[in-house]
Amino acid sequence: MGIKVDFRKRHYMKKSDKKKGIDPVFMLDAKFEAGNELVVLFGRSGSGKTTALQCISGLLEPNGGKIIVNDKVYFDCHKRIDLPVQQRSLGYVFQNYALFPHMDVKKNIAYGLKGFSEEEKGRRVGEMLRLLHIEGLEDNYPSQLSGGQKQRVALARALAPKPEILLLDEPFSALDAVVRMKLREMIRRIQKELGIPILFITHNPVEAFTMADRMVIFHNGQVQQTGTPEEVFYHPQNTHVAELVGMTNIFEDAIVGDEDTATGTVLLRKDELQVSAMQQKLKAGRNVSWGIRPENIHILSEEDEKDVEEENVFSVSVKSIVNKGASKLIYIDIGHHQNLLIAETSNQAFEKLHLEAGDACKVKLDKRKIAVF
Amino acid sequence: MLEQVWFPLVITLKIAAISTLIVAILGTIISYILARREFMGKWLVDVLVTLPMVLPPTVTGYLLIVLLGKNGIFGKVLFDLTGISLLFTWQVAVIAAFVVSLPLMVKTTTAAIEAVDRDFEYAAFTLGRKELETALFITLPLAKKGILAGIVLSFARAVGEFGATLMVAGNIPGRTNTMAISIYSAFQGGNNELANMLVIILVTVSLLSMAITARLVNRWKI
Repeated sequence: MGIKVDFRKRHYMKKSDKKKGIDPVFMLDAKFEAGNELVVLFGRSGSGKTTALQCISGLLEPNGGKIIVNDKVYFDCHKRIDLPVQQRSLGYVFQNYALFPHMDVKKNIAYGLKGFSEEEKGRRVGEMLRLLHIEGLEDNYPSQLSGGQKQRVALARALAPKPEILLLDEPFSALDAVVRMKLREMIRRIQKELGIPILFITHNPVEAFTMADRMVIFHNGQVQQTGTPEEVFYHPQNTHVAELVGMTNIFEDAIVGDEDTATGTVLLRKDELQVSAMQQKLKAGRNVSWGIRPENIHILSEEDEKDVEEENVFSVSVKSIVNKGASKLIYIDIGHHQNLLIAETSNQAFEKLHLEAGDACKVKLDKRKIAVF
Repeated sequence: MLEQVWFPLVITLKIAAISTLIVAILGTIISYILARREFMGKWLVDVLVTLPMVLPPTVTGYLLIVLLGKNGIFGKVLFDLTGISLLFTWQVAVIAAFVVSLPLMVKTTTAAIEAVDRDFEYAAFTLGRKELETALFITLPLAKKGILAGIVLSFARAVGEFGATLMVAGNIPGRTNTMAISIYSAFQGGNNELANMLVIILVTVSLLSMAITARLVNRWKI
């Protein structure tokens, strides 16, 4: 069961370009597997997430490869199988919801219930209204609904025919934060209840982290990494993934020193900048990149400075401070080749520091949280 | 006098109604295909359909004679098989009205269908609906304002058709003398009283049909 995809899609500027051998303007190579779980396709706009979803749904035809969902072959280039969209029994929620504006909520939800009697349709629509908590809206037209309500109706419509897989293309991008949080929870609940695979596109790291059972990271049309949110966020496999998951502090071209087996740490050095990281099985002399999330850079107060060992502690100057709501982003000049670090602290902790732009202070990089890739 | 007014009015409305019915059906099909399909020679279809809009009506009429006359390409086949000659009948006036109003229908409707967000159609596909069902129940209803505008324009064009009709159907009293042609011939013959009467009726009918359509469209929300 679950999803198994391995396909390629090429976009050409003009149809004739392919025959002429002109390079395509966009290339997607999608390869990943997942079970009946909530899978988040994560990446920047233009990284190929939507194209991947459209290929899986059958709205686009891949140029080669295979797509298998719940042991059903949707697409197989070699066996010349390309199941029409209509026969893939999937639910698709579009970014703009695509509710039919000339039909009321009831008719919208019932639209996919082909071959049902009127009575059965009514019952199924009722079930969907209850599942998504939108009872009472059935006689409204889409133009009379709020964004969150539209989203729920779109979900109800997609789920009504009992699809074997649900595809969601950035479904929350136009909603406010509160509605988003509720709907995220709702989607997770629905996934547990129905037990079908759900593919969910987003470029919002918080959304990805809170929702995903499994993440598939796209960059420039390539799948970079697949794994649980913890794996992807804390152990990115390359610079692209690290940047995408919000590891804002990345240092390339560092050389690995000898491993200190007693503490399980290695030294990573680039010019004068030298940090130690908790890492095993890193070959000495290797050229690597390393990164650290902003919340794992600790700004030390004067009391802290006394009782802290010197490892990974740097004297720095504060460049600027940006308010981020519940926390502050602190831009720090670490001196070596003007590398700018970004640290994040809670407002509470920040107040105790009495920091202002231009001040000098000390920071400590948490060696357990340094990721090497 | 009554006969001189009544017959042209009836024959004009009959010709315009039949031609508009055909234009509405064929025009919508052509428009859907032009808006939603890619195929070889699409530009040619587009050019052929649009051509009568830019050609002088007399040229359109002349080309119709070449096609439909007794010695014409289609006309000869038809005459040889059935003995029917199309020229100088009200039926050929329907064909003339069809040809000159089709571009108005196709241009307006194609634009209206192209303006329908494809996501609505994709949504219908993912809900298990075939293309034909989707076109009939999603795409066309969402483009209905544009389709109706095309129908109204086509009807107006058919009612006002003069040049091509005069070439292919002539001006045979009691057979092919439409309003536009009767007005011209009354004026030419110095019968200003009749010309005035016909003009007033034609203007009234046109205004009425526009007003009714406008009211109808205003009631549509989408």
